[in-house]
Amino acid sequence: VAKTSLTSPPWPEVKLPDPVEETKYHAEVVRKVNGLISTGEYGRLFAVVHFASKQWKITSEDLIMMDNVLEAQCGDRIRMEKVLLVGADDFTLIGRPLLGKDLVRVEATVIEKTESWPKVNMHFWKRHNVQRKKIIVNPQTVLRINTIEIYPCLS
Amino acid sequence: RYVRQLQRLQLLFSPTAADARGARQFVEEAAQDFARQHPDVVLYVSPHAGPGPAPVLRAEYLNGTVREELIASKTSEEIVQLATKLANQSGLDIIRIRKPFHTNNPSVQGQWHPLTNKPSILTVQGPCLQPQ
Repeated sequence: VAKTSLTSPPWPEVKLPDPVEETKYHAEVVRKVNGLISTGEYGRLFAVVHFASKQWKITSEDLIMMDNVLEAQCGDRIRMEKVLLVGADDFTLIGRPLLGKDLVRVEATVIEKTESWPKVNMHFWKRHNVQRKKIIVNPQTVLRINTIEIYPCLS
Repeated sequence: RYVRQLQRLQLLFSPTAADARGARQFVEEAAQDFARQHPDVVLYVSPHAGPGPAPVLRAEYLNGTVREELIASKTSEEIVQLATKLANQSGLDIIRIRKPFHTNNPSVQGQWHPLTNKPSILTVQGPCLQPQ
């Protein structure tokens, strides 16, 4: 059969490796990463956390503000579950879609609960003598991420 | 290690004015409970006799900002809510903040630039014209 421009797909053909070798390689990588975590050779950890219907990329000692009211008082320590990704300098742990709770621990404290700046909500319709003005003030909470810890229990 | 940002709360009112009724009720009933619940805030109550300025709740924060809120014709519960709100705040100005996050170390694995994840021959050779 003659070869036309549509016989083979335009992307380069990828050969998948052997499944047995693949599993061996996976086990090797997991053992190495576990060893690294248990010896504690990682520097700064960052994590992607789903919180207040938004995904944040957080490291330790950084500030986050949300536009809602949390039920915790000022100064309470909060543990964040729903961690999607954890990474360090040499390795990243990607969850599908979440990582296990016995693997990562993200702690934060509530620093302040203020209100936002007064936003103006105005409707004006010209030549119709219609206008409406409302000032909206949202409650906000500020959190500070204290620590992100990982434990060597991969599989 | 949490430090409350409110330094002191000063309650200035006059015992004879009619609109300071809520302030007087707050001082009689709820001030002690409020002070017990927030042990790291100092609450000063200073009644000034005679017709003076309007009753005011002044909050001073650790970075020096002073916020005054009128408490004229407010009930005691509203004053309690106001006081807790002021106690939970910090002394920053309430203006539009541009970003809801702040980090000192934004990149851990190195910031992305267009040459990451590309074969390193590009950094050595650089971009060059392909022959037509």
